[in-house]
Amino acid sequence: MIRFENVGMRYGMGPEVLRDVSFELAPGSFHFLTGPSGAGKTSLLKLMFLAVRPSRGLITMFGQDIATLPRKEMPALRRRIGVVFQEFRLLDHLTTYENVALPLRIQGQPESAWRADVMELLAWVGLGDRIHAKPPTLSGGEKQRAAIARAVVGQPDVLLADEPTGNVDPEMGQRLLRLFVELNRLGTSVLLATHDRSLVEAAGAPELVLKEGGLSIRG
Amino acid sequence: MADTSQRPARPGRPGRDPAPTFHDEEKAGRSRLVSLLVETRSIMPSGGATGLPLILAIAAMCFLASLTLGAALSVGHAAAEWTGQLSGAFTVEIKPSPEMKPDKQLSEVMSLLGQTNGIVSARPVTRSETAKLLEPWLGKGNVTDDLPIPQLVDVTIDPASPPDLAALAINVAAVAPGALLDTHRQWQAEIISAAHAVLWLAYAVLGLVAATTTAIVVFATRAGLSANRDVVEVLHLIGARDRFIAREVQHHFLHLGLRGGIAGLALSVLTFVVLSFAGDNGALFLMPVTGLQLTHYPILLAVPIASALVAVLTARITVMRELEHML
Repeated sequence: MIRFENVGMRYGMGPEVLRDVSFELAPGSFHFLTGPSGAGKTSLLKLMFLAVRPSRGLITMFGQDIATLPRKEMPALRRRIGVVFQEFRLLDHLTTYENVALPLRIQGQPESAWRADVMELLAWVGLGDRIHAKPPTLSGGEKQRAAIARAVVGQPDVLLADEPTGNVDPEMGQRLLRLFVELNRLGTSVLLATHDRSLVEAAGAPELVLKEGGLSIRG
Repeated sequence: MADTSQRPARPGRPGRDPAPTFHDEEKAGRSRLVSLLVETRSIMPSGGATGLPLILAIAAMCFLASLTLGAALSVGHAAAEWTGQLSGAFTVEIKPSPEMKPDKQLSEVMSLLGQTNGIVSARPVTRSETAKLLEPWLGKGNVTDDLPIPQLVDVTIDPASPPDLAALAINVAAVAPGALLDTHRQWQAEIISAAHAVLWLAYAVLGLVAATTTAIVVFATRAGLSANRDVVEVLHLIGARDRFIAREVQHHFLHLGLRGGIAGLALSVLTFVVLSFAGDNGALFLMPVTGLQLTHYPILLAVPIASALVAVLTARITVMRELEHML
């Protein structure tokens, strides 16, 4: 589903932050992405959610080589990828409901077609009573759940999450992990970038380990 | 990957009331004009750098632009009016002559004017009126009865079918020795050239203000967009097409441009109305100007429309350029 072959990446004329990275994510799989700070986890995720191009190597997403894919076909591909950004990147002027519904709204379907789904999802992530609240008034855990809900509302084939438990206590971290496991059980491939060893051990899923720009697979 | 349509329903409670909404249905029901001015809900934030400060900047520049446009329009109108008044009149000047008595001179001239086609009215200027005209040069009370001063006749002509002035000049001199035609030609040329100079000055100022307004609206729009770069980037990354993002951004800036423009226009109209009451046909550019005509007010509408267009175009070009840099 997602395939990296000898991918290298550098920012501008700087040193390579990723070197010869090769791996493949199968449909319905669950992986962690670990490694020390600065190892290139966020850069690897950026490549996967099509925010940047690699400097070299081949990336295939859903069977399409992204180097040769016309720019106007990128949005359709991005809609198959749900992303939980490290800083959430919720839009502060929209309510929780509007933030979560955003991926559906940009697809141009009428609101009546998905309003009930969004409400149901919000209830599922425990934000059913916070629909009118705007992000600045949400707690860290609530923001995280809103960001996760926004990432999964379009029923993506793959969910990428950058430090999704970074700002919450261990108990909330475990609750969020159960949420991801449940999503995976429903058919979504999941890749979680994290520092949290306890999370990795609790899930017992395979690990992509990044170290000094190189990638190895554990488990 | 499993077929997403086959997934079991997510657990959870059904939607509760009142359900939140993007107000799309409400928008559809509003009148076009209202929805142009009142932005109900947008994906773009209405506050911050793209909100009030931007509207204020646009309003201030549109105020100045409308004032200048209004001034140029009224100067243009006034210039046309002066020219029309001058070319619609002339004076017959009857100097005392040893060959004919002054009364006879006047009656001959009046009867000739009465028979000439194209003359609307002819009125002899009384001696006291003539004395008043001379007062600035001779001083009050210095125009004595024995001072030989020329008799003047004010003549109004029909601008649609004016008489042949050259032939009339010859005839006037023939019927009354010492009488001659003053057609204001020299004055007319000077006043017209002065009016044209003022008009060109007004257009130059208008051009300058329009260029500055455009530049400020462009910069303000770009500043507003750069404050919203994060919103644009998030929309892009979650799969919004460039067209969708551009439409949202354009819509947002159309509202801001129109609101600012209309505020500026309203302020300038108020200024013109106050000027016309307070200043008794307020004098602009040191020349008597009859004020803004009713027919000029709709022309001022061009200012907010232009400002909104500039804002929308700038927003579109800027956001499209920004998006092209993104993958």
